[in-house]
Amino acid sequence: MFDRFDIFFVQQLINGFSVGLVYALVAIGFTLIFGVLNVVNFAHGEIYMIGAYAGLLAIVFLAPPWVALLLLVLAAGIVSGVALERAAFKPFRRFRDEASLKSKAMRESTLLSSLAVSIVVRESVEKIFGADMQAIPRAYADAMQEPISLGELAVASGQIAILAAAILMFAALQWILTRTDIGLSIRAVAANPLGAQYVGVNVDRTVIATFAIGSGMGAVAGILIGLYQGTIFPAMGFAPGVKAFVAMVMGGLNSIPGAVICAIVLGLAEAVATEFFGQGWADLVAYVFLVLTLVFFPTGLFGAGRERV
Amino acid sequence: MMTTRRSLLAAAAPAPVAARVAVAQPRRILIGYQLPLTGEFSQYGERFRNSALMALDAFNRSGRLPVPVEIVFEDTRSDPREAVAVARKFVDNREIVAVLGDFSSSASIQAGRVYAEVGMPQLSQTASHPDFVKISPWQFRNITTQAYEGPRVAEWMRENGVRRVAVVAIQNDWGQSVVSNFAEAFRSGGGEVVATQFFNPGNREFRAILTEIARARPDAIYIGMFYEDGAAFLQQRRQLNIRVPVYATSSLYEPKLVELAGAGAEGVFLSTTFMATSPEPHVRAYVEEYRRRFGSEPNMFSAQAFDAVNILLEAIVRAWPEATRARVREELARTRDFPGVTGVTTFDPETREPAKTLARMRIENGQFVLVR
Amino acid sequence: MRTVLAPLAVFAVLFGALPAGLSAAGSGYLFRLADVTLIFCILALSMQLITGVAGLLTLGHAAFYGIGAYTAAILSTRVGLDAGLTIPASGLVSALFGVLIALPTMRLVSIYFAVATLGLGEMIYVTLLNWVSFTRGPLGIGDIPPLRPFGFDLSSPLGTYFLVAALAALALVVVHRLAHSYYGNALRALREDDQCAEAMGLPVVRLKIEVFAIATFLAGIAGALWAHTTGYVNPADFRFAESILILAMVVVGGLGSIPGAIVGAALLILLPEALRAIGEVRILAVGLIMFLCILFLPKGLFGEVAALDLVRRQFGAAWGGSPAVRPLGWR
Repeated sequence: MFDRFDIFFVQQLINGFSVGLVYALVAIGFTLIFGVLNVVNFAHGEIYMIGAYAGLLAIVFLAPPWVALLLLVLAAGIVSGVALERAAFKPFRRFRDEASLKSKAMRESTLLSSLAVSIVVRESVEKIFGADMQAIPRAYADAMQEPISLGELAVASGQIAILAAAILMFAALQWILTRTDIGLSIRAVAANPLGAQYVGVNVDRTVIATFAIGSGMGAVAGILIGLYQGTIFPAMGFAPGVKAFVAMVMGGLNSIPGAVICAIVLGLAEAVATEFFGQGWADLVAYVFLVLTLVFFPTGLFGAGRERV
Repeated sequence: MMTTRRSLLAAAAPAPVAARVAVAQPRRILIGYQLPLTGEFSQYGERFRNSALMALDAFNRSGRLPVPVEIVFEDTRSDPREAVAVARKFVDNREIVAVLGDFSSSASIQAGRVYAEVGMPQLSQTASHPDFVKISPWQFRNITTQAYEGPRVAEWMRENGVRRVAVVAIQNDWGQSVVSNFAEAFRSGGGEVVATQFFNPGNREFRAILTEIARARPDAIYIGMFYEDGAAFLQQRRQLNIRVPVYATSSLYEPKLVELAGAGAEGVFLSTTFMATSPEPHVRAYVEEYRRRFGSEPNMFSAQAFDAVNILLEAIVRAWPEATRARVREELARTRDFPGVTGVTTFDPETREPAKTLARMRIENGQFVLVR
Repeated sequence: MRTVLAPLAVFAVLFGALPAGLSAAGSGYLFRLADVTLIFCILALSMQLITGVAGLLTLGHAAFYGIGAYTAAILSTRVGLDAGLTIPASGLVSALFGVLIALPTMRLVSIYFAVATLGLGEMIYVTLLNWVSFTRGPLGIGDIPPLRPFGFDLSSPLGTYFLVAALAALALVVVHRLAHSYYGNALRALREDDQCAEAMGLPVVRLKIEVFAIATFLAGIAGALWAHTTGYVNPADFRFAESILILAMVVVGGLGSIPGAIVGAALLILLPEALRAIGEVRILAVGLIMFLCILFLPKGLFGEVAALDLVRRQFGAAWGGSPAVRPLGWR
């Protein structure tokens, strides 16, 4: 048993940490949108995918420097996020009467409208680019996939880039949420939409801004992770999307730091579980964690303790 | 027992009707092709259709039959619900004499049960599930299974002095057969399988698996997965600095692998039935026409579909003028030494398993190079 | 009068017109579509009971469908049980899992419950996939005998259709009776506000567990029918996407509405088939139609709430006030 705690185990922890960061990058935008709207955005994985494809197109046709590439992808994410909000979420905010606000049918219709949009987007991308993995020009792929040896351990350059991106995004989001007007209104709407409206917050604008920020971050995550893993394909958003969802729930649904911590814990647990059970069963870890958290901490590990009925 | 006999009789009843139709010289002959044209496997279905159209056009131009042959393509997404519905649809169409497809083994098996029940020859280009041809005498496949490939790779490794091997395969029916057939052959040759890992379909994060394997210090890694997973695997192996040679199944023979995995693909050993760089004239003609018509490189899957369509067309020619489902099945079972682009193919009349020749390849400087 | 005519019409179509038409067409394809549609009607009805009537959003329904299918597959191929026994057994095993899963999760509210069912659904899928020694993992289980309950040979298309239709009709009657009874009203009270319902003295947790058990029983039966009519089961058939498909049926049809569940199931099964002519863009078209349905009919085609509105408009005076001018206030 203890012979497992060797240099390979340390390598395994590094692997798990980097997987956790991938989940965290996706979870940040996901949690932001959930926190405000209190509905699950099934199309977040597709925004992530659009980010990767937008970045790839930019690389192939423009070969921009890295900063310009990330800004382009950010813009693509913001545009698609706003479009998604317009198409799948805004139509359902026209119902303002009490019955509709409380109606479960209404809440589930946004869940399904985002799901329908995600099907349409994924199928369209599949039709345009094909369902297979896209080849990435080597100059960009190599920059993210170069091995860096640390004695017997190895990390990839992309892992460092993703760590940096995660820290940067997290910090930027905290700054936006606590230091800007739009962040203030986002927090107000998240806390109580009706109350925010009474004190003069423009709820519509706030929701659009939330989608813009969350989707922009999702798109940047998409291109970074796509380049680092070398896997850009139409269904790429599903697997990290589900894990990010789990991390978000474990973190308490509306707590971004909670989601990030839980994402990293999840990544570590999966890597360690592979040591003992094989990868097939390691996939179970995320769901076991999810169910245990829900049963013993019904509002998540970092939840605000606000019961959602 | 009684019921079985009765249902057999019921199945046999429509046969004379079909025979009369054939004798009355149909205006055309229809073949059904069920394949994924939408969804996550659509890139494979697209290649199948491209190859099928090529084979069909060449055949109809050759004028070997007085009537044209047509193929009805139906999309199933390789989804079992749709695969069975499409199978029913094909069976209903009395003009269809044989069916090609499906892509995944599970969809092929589910559709195959319909074909077995009604009596429709089915030839899949890719279904490698061990149970597929055991459904009934109506099932054929044009893919060498791992029962054939595994022992040959094991032997190759032994020749290269590999004693300890780690196996990684996708957790699906095919991946299961990769591991069991290879491990058995390798152990019986005195080797040791030091680690076995299955990964769930859709997972493309292999670092944890690679690290776990590296601890066992194998002499080589054998991987059974599709080329996209393989590209991610090879690329992550390079990032982790694991310098163990990799042997791969023929499914990794795909020009895009090198593009996707870059330097990670360097030095991979694999065996394949199809070689795009083969000097043989009929292979070169196929590769060149495919490139010209569809602007992309053919891979093993497209070549297998091309051969499957041609094998079926040959069987129909031999059955002519009595091109009924039963006769086409008989002729399919008589396929011998068919000179396809995936090598010379013979169907075993009893087990209906194909035998082909396997070539050994290695990736060097971003090219697939024939070994010896 | 209406209460007699409507069910009579449904039964006449189900057991008279439809099989007669299908037999006349003599098409195995259409029979197969009818069978699949009816199986999904059972699934949609059972989910309607949990999600529409009792208001518990579940994202793991396909797992119970899978448990039912695997129970039938294993019992009939390894134990050699008759289809007449495997079908109820599948329902019971599935309901057992339903209760086991419901016990710890029932005190979770709304989205937390949904997420827990999603997690449990994926757990069951991963187990079916990786427990190779018991489920044969990704190899799936084949050679499941067709439907021959108690020696009656129903393996012909017509026989299979009648058995599937009879079970679907049974599910319809059960769900209909449950939903339109005092019991159903209690469930609706849970849907609208479970704290309030508890305060009124309803045994909330017990009701939830009971309804979950009934619904998973029905899902298990649907799974057994799938296994017997298809002859081969594979874990990939019972993934998350399948749960979402069933949920989409219920939502497109209208939450809480029984005709809605049936129309939703028929729509989402038959639409992709009907759209075969447009070939490769058909899934895209299904996505678009789903989206438009939700956009323009957010309460579903036959939504209960929408139906109530209709009644209110008809008897406006008796119900008092139009919904449009209702003031905002305390929740």
